[in-house]
Amino acid sequence: MASQRDVRNRIGAVKNIQKITRAMEMVAAARLRRSEQRIEALRPYVGAIRRMTRDAAQAAGYVPSVPILAEHESLDAVGLLLVAGDRGLAGAFNSNIVRAGVTAGRDYVGESKKVLYFASGRRPASSLTFRGLEPTESFIGFTDRPAYADARTIAERLMAAYVDGEVDRVEVFYNHYISPMSQIVRRETLLPLAQATLLAEGEQESAQQQPEGLAIPGAEEAAKPRRINVEYEPDAEAVLKRLVPDYVKLSIYRALLESTASEHGARMTAMRNASQNAGDLIKDLTLEMNRARQAEITQEIMEVVAGAEGLG
Amino acid sequence: MAHAKFPVEVLTPEGEVFAEEVEMISTRTGLGSIGILARHEPLLATLVPGELRIYRSQDEIVRFAAAEGYLQFIENRALLLVEEAIPPDQLDRPVLESKLSDARGVAERAQEGSEERASALRDIARYEAFLAIGQ
Repeated sequence: MASQRDVRNRIGAVKNIQKITRAMEMVAAARLRRSEQRIEALRPYVGAIRRMTRDAAQAAGYVPSVPILAEHESLDAVGLLLVAGDRGLAGAFNSNIVRAGVTAGRDYVGESKKVLYFASGRRPASSLTFRGLEPTESFIGFTDRPAYADARTIAERLMAAYVDGEVDRVEVFYNHYISPMSQIVRRETLLPLAQATLLAEGEQESAQQQPEGLAIPGAEEAAKPRRINVEYEPDAEAVLKRLVPDYVKLSIYRALLESTASEHGARMTAMRNASQNAGDLIKDLTLEMNRARQAEITQEIMEVVAGAEGLG
Repeated sequence: MAHAKFPVEVLTPEGEVFAEEVEMISTRTGLGSIGILARHEPLLATLVPGELRIYRSQDEIVRFAAAEGYLQFIENRALLLVEEAIPPDQLDRPVLESKLSDARGVAERAQEGSEERASALRDIARYEAFLAIGQ
């Protein structure tokens, strides 16, 4: 049986760990709140881009042919973008993405397609390298607080790969944020961009249910149809062509934000569990220490009694 | 003379950066500089990276380094959607310079006419515009 002193040392160590995990939980909680706010902050921009796209498509009368909307004739190479974190200690947050991405990649290789991996975050980048699946490009250093410029960098790289024929399809894997307790792995096709996404109503607008073919300048005027002659500069088609790639950038930005919120949520939950486990361990160890102390006392009493008997 | 005021909203994917009634805005579209006063014609223009100036009054000007975006003017309201809108004093010159030289490297290596090159040229235009504003 461990001595009292050993157990006391272990209790001290576990208490220190518990302090750290508690602090990490609180940091993650604060960051989670901020990332939730950033997801909220994106909504008005996306809504405005969608309205602008519908207006411009209406004015142009059609959606112009843009390379990222056009499906390639044959599917030979697939780009997989794995979005996760720079750091660990967040439960299965990183490994779920790597597992889903690698499984999908293996399926494509089974169909004799070439697979190019792209990683956002140090963890998926190093996991891929470790498995011998060297990523074509890694984007790192921002997963705590991704900026739109980071999403633009990734999107531009992937769009160039698609348009220049390096890949014929691009899929993204990321953790969709539901709550601190639950995140689910989402797999979406980024490129070619489906034309339906351009003219579809966003989830944030579905509540307004505007009639088909009418655009609205603001929610408060939802009922009023707009028939204004807007001058497009240079013209509606050129504006549309500029708007289309924005959908890819926004999809990636959204994935980065969701992933960041998921990461902080997962870390918060993981750290809360760790703190609880540390608490349980401390309880067990305290019990063990008391038992050890009691055993020592019993031992001493027995020695005293035995000594007294020996004298008598 | 004071001009009539009209509401202006500047939105970026990271949130709203400006929403006030102002006298005039001045920015750059794909076709050149543009100034917008109250009761401008309905307009939807694409914006190129450059300085966005918002005139609260003749001599009170709010400035931003604005990336690519759109300007919509409808029903006497201006809505600017820009990818980034950074106050000039918050521009990080060393970072911009290193990104600029990276982009130049990519543009040089990339094949003529490729999307990779086009994308690098867009980056160059943006970083150069930002650096010009920062001066």
